[in-house]
Amino acid sequence: MNLYLPIAEMSLNIWLLIGMGAAVGFLSGLFGVGGGFIMTPLLIFIGIPPAVAVGTGSAQIVASSLSGAVAQYRRGNVDIRMGLVLIGGGLIGTIIGVDVVRILRRLGQFDLVVALGYVAFLGIIGTLMLIESSTAIAKVQAGGKSRSRQAHAHGWLDGLPFKMRFRHSKLYTSAIPPIMIGAFVGFLAAIFGIGGGFIVVPALIYILRMPTNIVVGTALFQIVFVTAATTILQSATNQTVDLPLASMLVIGGVVGAQFGATAGERLRGEQLRFWLAALVLLVAIRVGYDLVVQPTELYSITPLVRGLE
Amino acid sequence: MRIASTVTAILTFAITILAGTVSAAPPTPTPQLTPDHVLAAQQPKTKPPAPATKKPPPVPAPPADTGAQAPPPPPERLEIDVSTNTVAVTSAFSGTEIIVFGTVINSRQPSPEAGFYDVVVLVEGHGATSIVRLKSRVGGMWINTQSVRFDNLPLYSAIASSRPLDEIAEPHVLVANVIGFGRARMFPGKHSSNVSIQELDDYKSAAIRLKEKDGLYVRSEYGVIFIGPALFRATVKLPANIPVGPLDARVYLFHEGQLLAAQKASVRLTREGVDRLVYDFAFDHPILYGLLTVTIAILAGFLASVAFRK
Repeated sequence: MNLYLPIAEMSLNIWLLIGMGAAVGFLSGLFGVGGGFIMTPLLIFIGIPPAVAVGTGSAQIVASSLSGAVAQYRRGNVDIRMGLVLIGGGLIGTIIGVDVVRILRRLGQFDLVVALGYVAFLGIIGTLMLIESSTAIAKVQAGGKSRSRQAHAHGWLDGLPFKMRFRHSKLYTSAIPPIMIGAFVGFLAAIFGIGGGFIVVPALIYILRMPTNIVVGTALFQIVFVTAATTILQSATNQTVDLPLASMLVIGGVVGAQFGATAGERLRGEQLRFWLAALVLLVAIRVGYDLVVQPTELYSITPLVRGLE
Repeated sequence: MRIASTVTAILTFAITILAGTVSAAPPTPTPQLTPDHVLAAQQPKTKPPAPATKKPPPVPAPPADTGAQAPPPPPERLEIDVSTNTVAVTSAFSGTEIIVFGTVINSRQPSPEAGFYDVVVLVEGHGATSIVRLKSRVGGMWINTQSVRFDNLPLYSAIASSRPLDEIAEPHVLVANVIGFGRARMFPGKHSSNVSIQELDDYKSAAIRLKEKDGLYVRSEYGVIFIGPALFRATVKLPANIPVGPLDARVYLFHEGQLLAAQKASVRLTREGVDRLVYDFAFDHPILYGLLTVTIAILAGFLASVAFRK
């Protein structure tokens, strides 16, 4: 059964779209990432124009992150206060990011910057997480404690002003690092069309030293707001949000996210991080491969449509 | 069903033509394409186009076999129409076909198989600026280094002909009538890289190749079929990814490389039903549309988490 998508101007199978939404939603619920870094390339791969893929993908992330966030909240895994501080920073970052996108588009190398950014960020974060989680897994197998929280091991963070108590995360720390993390993620979200979960999650774990089980829920909470803002912004400036496409992805996504969250409960924190790291690295390698290997078609054609230039 | 009714329509049309009444005295002359096109086409092939006099071109010579005494036959004209003048693009749209059909008035062709005439049918969508980019290797990576902009490149173009175009007429005739993918319209626009003529040709053929791969440029070399001495038809495929907008159908009648007549018709592609509502909403109230999308996403997210609550 096919559905015509009015903004993308093409016809696609409904079950393919729902299935894609479900698969990405599952990962979203499992790892506490929005899944944008998988959804956007997937949509482009099945032929959706890149601008529409970025705009519509964000709507799907809103739904699956929210569904995942609610599930996590019920388990007491969301630090609302930390989430709000991250969102505050995120909005600043998004506004700056949108301007940078406009400049890059004018220079004509937007695609390259996105590809290089994907390889760099996904590659670095994936590698770091892979090393850390394998070490942790090895420790568990050797019979040690799975994770020793070193509450006061981050010396320089304690020196910063504007201290806040994050009761839920059992943290008493400056508001500046979470705002910076939020802003950085919001900036990347606007440029790469992603929620930024794969950056927030490790940042909260390794920089702020938040407990892993709370990190996933808090990241999802923050992603809901950042991607909602992105969706409205994309719709207002570029008219690149395809509502029927978003609906199909959302239907699959919210169901998938529920199963993902349940599956995530059965896995240990370090195992989750290991598989997320593997997934992130896989995407980085895939994008990097396209950059390095000679493509069969050296030419590409892009029609200049509404608002893009 | 639609095709069946179209066939009936064609047959009725054919019978009317064969009765010979319509062709004898049409009340108004059928509108032709701009005279320039016909002028360019009617110049004899051997004669160089250099003498640019304003003199009207010579009337095409009558075929040799009609005999010296017989008066010259009345000139051919075309009457054409399209099976569907409005194609509705709804949420169930997954591409469709239209039939361009027509008849040669004052046809001298003895039978449909005679091959006396050649017909070219073009269906084209509106034009848009398209950027063709070329990747090359820089520091081990394949990145876009050069680009050429083609202004007014048709987003959709279908060409059906009774035989391959290069057998029908000389290239300059085809170019003069803009027959062929992007022919005579592909000039590098502003912001293009400096490329040689040879390189520009590569860009042009790449643009056409990529469009053909997307199914947006369709070539059908034996797609025009005569079903009577005068009546012909061509089936044109409109793919699901066709950009929505007006389409122009142009039909050209050739005999031995000479353009005898040309005729135009139009087809409208319009969004209808829910798709029209969504599209209009997205462009008329973009902020509300974004809010609606987010609201739907949020509701769906909540519903799912409520439904799965244990």
